[in-house]
Amino acid sequence: MMINDLDSVDLHWVEAALAGLSAPAAPKLTGRIFGSWLAAPSRLGEVFVAFTGDGVQFLRSAESVRGDAGAFVEAYRDRFGRPLRQADQAPAGLLTALRGTPPASLRLDLCGLSDFERDVLTATCRIPAGQTRPYGWIAREAGRPRAVRAVGSVLGRNPLPLLIPCHRVIRADGRLGDYMFGPAHKAELLRAEQVNIDELAALPGGDDPAEPAECG
Amino acid sequence: MALPMTPEGPQAQATGEELQQALIADLDSGFADMVHAYEGVVYAVAMRLSRRPADAEDLSAEAFLHAYRALRGYDAQRISTLALRPWLLTILRNITRNAARDAVRRPDPPPAFEPAEQPTTARSVEQQVEQRDVARELGVVLAALPEIQRTAVVLRHVVGLPTSEVAKVLGCPDGTAKSHIWRGLRRLRALLTEQPDSSLLASGRTVR
Repeated sequence: MMINDLDSVDLHWVEAALAGLSAPAAPKLTGRIFGSWLAAPSRLGEVFVAFTGDGVQFLRSAESVRGDAGAFVEAYRDRFGRPLRQADQAPAGLLTALRGTPPASLRLDLCGLSDFERDVLTATCRIPAGQTRPYGWIAREAGRPRAVRAVGSVLGRNPLPLLIPCHRVIRADGRLGDYMFGPAHKAELLRAEQVNIDELAALPGGDDPAEPAECG
Repeated sequence: MALPMTPEGPQAQATGEELQQALIADLDSGFADMVHAYEGVVYAVAMRLSRRPADAEDLSAEAFLHAYRALRGYDAQRISTLALRPWLLTILRNITRNAARDAVRRPDPPPAFEPAEQPTTARSVEQQVEQRDVARELGVVLAALPEIQRTAVVLRHVVGLPTSEVAKVLGCPDGTAKSHIWRGLRRLRALLTEQPDSSLLASGRTVR
């Protein structure tokens, strides 16, 4: 490489101009990179909740991680590949939503999910408190009527139980079916929403007693 | 005109070892320190490497997330041997190149002019064109450089990295990095001076 003196002198003003290029002050990237988490009371007892600037992202009951916030944080990192920091403040609407009042303004961050997963979760959100729907209803709503089992898997991995009320999705024969925090909690949540579980179970199998005509 | 050069670059490198220790001790809190230490340089480089400066923030955040995901798989030994700043900037460069490739399936703009100018031309332009105009035009003409020259010049002269770190980011020997920097500078000079009546210079003066 030949850099003669003339060149060095001559390039100096270009170098100086480059050094003088002012980038606008860097935006604070931490909020874009880190998720935030906190512990909060809920209808399931204490829960750990993670959220980003786009909305609430992940929720697990303290009981399901044996009260270990570290295990929750680790599960979040594994699932979302994002660092977490503890938050001082809950996003607007979260605390009331956890108490069971339907959130007016709570934003959910459903990034990183497939279209089908998102459709399943969105359909689940449309089930009002006090009502239930069978897995098949969700499958139809999500546009894949035969994907009933797949609906079960998606709900089994629901990132936001309680807020996305997967406990309102039950079996077609009126039995409650599984719940990620155990069937007892599912029954407890539904009873608290004035769902008559015994009546559901007494209905003839195979029918879809919970599906109102106007749904869909 | 003469702006002080910063041959040793930002001070962040001085804390590289502390950052490594912090990452090893507690990945998430160490990572927060790392973001704090390097977000400025990462963003400044992203501003100059991305075709659309508006993407710089997205690219920077994405680079840090990539870094985080990689660090999660590294053991203490690996982290302690990592040169953090050039490593981060390498990730940024790859992300930027992939984004450019994915977003616009069109070729690079043709390398416009080959350098062959007289020093006097350069001086007269230097006198004519105000510093701010040069800066404005630089942003435009930087985009006309081949990617490797643009990266080399931005790392060395915009954010002031030592040549050894530039070489790490480019993945080449120091001498080759120097050559990319030098060629980039010459081409920039050519673009800025060869055709003083070109729309490039004219627009640099009139368009904000």
